[in-house]
Amino acid sequence: MKFAEIFLGILTAMGGFVEIGELTFTLNAGQQFAWSLLWVVPLGTIGIMVYCEMAGRIAAVRSRPVFALVRERAGFDSALLTLIASLAVNLLTCAAEIGGVALLLHLVLGSPYRLLILATFAMLLLVVWFVSFKWIERIFGLGGLLLIVFLVAAVYLGPDWSKVAQGLLPDANARETVLDFFYAVALLSSIMLPYETYFYASGGIEDEWKPSDVGLNRLVVFVGFALGGLLAASLVGVGTEYFGPRQIEPQSPGAAALGAAHAFGETGLLLALGGMFFAFGGAAIETSLSSAYNLAQFAGWPWGKHLPRRHAGRFTLSWIATFALATLVALSGVNPVTIVEYSIVFSVVILPFTYFPVLAVASDRNIMGDHANGWLANALGWFYLVLITAAGIAALPLLVLTQGGRG
Amino acid sequence: MKKLKPFDLARDLLDHELVDVDEVPCGRVDDIELEHTSHGLAVAALLVGPGAWAQRLPALARIGARAVFGRGRVRVPIDEVTRIEDVVQLRSRAAQLGLGILDRRVGRWLARLPRS
Repeated sequence: MKFAEIFLGILTAMGGFVEIGELTFTLNAGQQFAWSLLWVVPLGTIGIMVYCEMAGRIAAVRSRPVFALVRERAGFDSALLTLIASLAVNLLTCAAEIGGVALLLHLVLGSPYRLLILATFAMLLLVVWFVSFKWIERIFGLGGLLLIVFLVAAVYLGPDWSKVAQGLLPDANARETVLDFFYAVALLSSIMLPYETYFYASGGIEDEWKPSDVGLNRLVVFVGFALGGLLAASLVGVGTEYFGPRQIEPQSPGAAALGAAHAFGETGLLLALGGMFFAFGGAAIETSLSSAYNLAQFAGWPWGKHLPRRHAGRFTLSWIATFALATLVALSGVNPVTIVEYSIVFSVVILPFTYFPVLAVASDRNIMGDHANGWLANALGWFYLVLITAAGIAALPLLVLTQGGRG
Repeated sequence: MKKLKPFDLARDLLDHELVDVDEVPCGRVDDIELEHTSHGLAVAALLVGPGAWAQRLPALARIGARAVFGRGRVRVPIDEVTRIEDVVQLRSRAAQLGLGILDRRVGRWLARLPRS
């Protein structure tokens, strides 16, 4: 394994970890509940590690992407429902990311918001059309690393480390309200967004992973996502230490950047805005490509960013259509943060349908041979499947009871 | 005599991806056509397309699917199949079997654009 390849893989995994939903929910969780929901971040991070590692391993060993497994293992009806739901969630997430990028550009350039949505659409279209898969991953993943400014800001703001440590475990004596549960479920969902698993496994096949890349997959997932989780935890910290005492709700990407600006002035502000630009832009690309991957894999069309467009017609048309529809949703004027709140809650509902086929195949020795799950991967896989099923069942009632997290 | 591993049509064939002789994906096994032979039931053909998969949906969804996607389906005789593993390999090109028509049509249109 080449050191540079591993290093880049880890950095891009870290830089691509956070997107608009995770940013919003981590900052808001910190602002409203201080460190008390911090434990959800490592819980969700380990969950996404477990399933991305499995999906990446299946991609490396058998070149099978997630939605091929969903179709073959979940039965046609459930697979079709999962496909439709995943397309809807991807579309909403993509719309929120496009809206987020446009809001950032609006802050910097001052041009009309709707015009900037159209400019963002054109930019993303051109990037995906002309830039190779590897370079898209690198540009947006490494650019997203600018968000490290939030990690430094969280330390700079001087948190009470004993409270941080207490937050790493749920408080058994606390009197939880429905709002606490809603935020815990939403935070978990924002970290374990389903498109990440679809994109990660399909990306492994795009990068032509072989069984010898199982080690690379493990390192990228475990180290890269752990660092990404640290970044997410630092956003809870900025929410706690900066937004909490000031009673400011970070309801827009611009407001979120204030935390970094408070610590490091103009440089902090620019780094935060730059990091968010790449993180949201990268997530918009990943969600649109995920939709195309899912459709093509479900229907058996030729797919892949590496293929000439003329040989993957419907796949190409699908990612263009996702961008176009997401742009229309963003143009409707709905706040991107509102869109993302709904997409995150609906995401957790489809997670069990996505994860079960992955777990079934990864643990099947007839299919995976020596690369099948060991006892630890199986135990963690089942634990998270039960957890997200419970979260999925609770998500919609919690959304209604809390009026979308407003209490 | 070596005992053959049982072949489960629902698990090992239905919904699996079809690839043509050039390894190009060209649909999924949306349904299976069976026929009576002197040895009992046997697979006669693989069915591909909305006309095949819509039949597997509940009544209301079936009507909706047919209204949106039509009733088109392609029948691939079982003699066309050369290998059944993760994917089902066919001995002809997709175009010869009438599969992947829309992909090629969209592809020809996209080919007019730069870097396609």
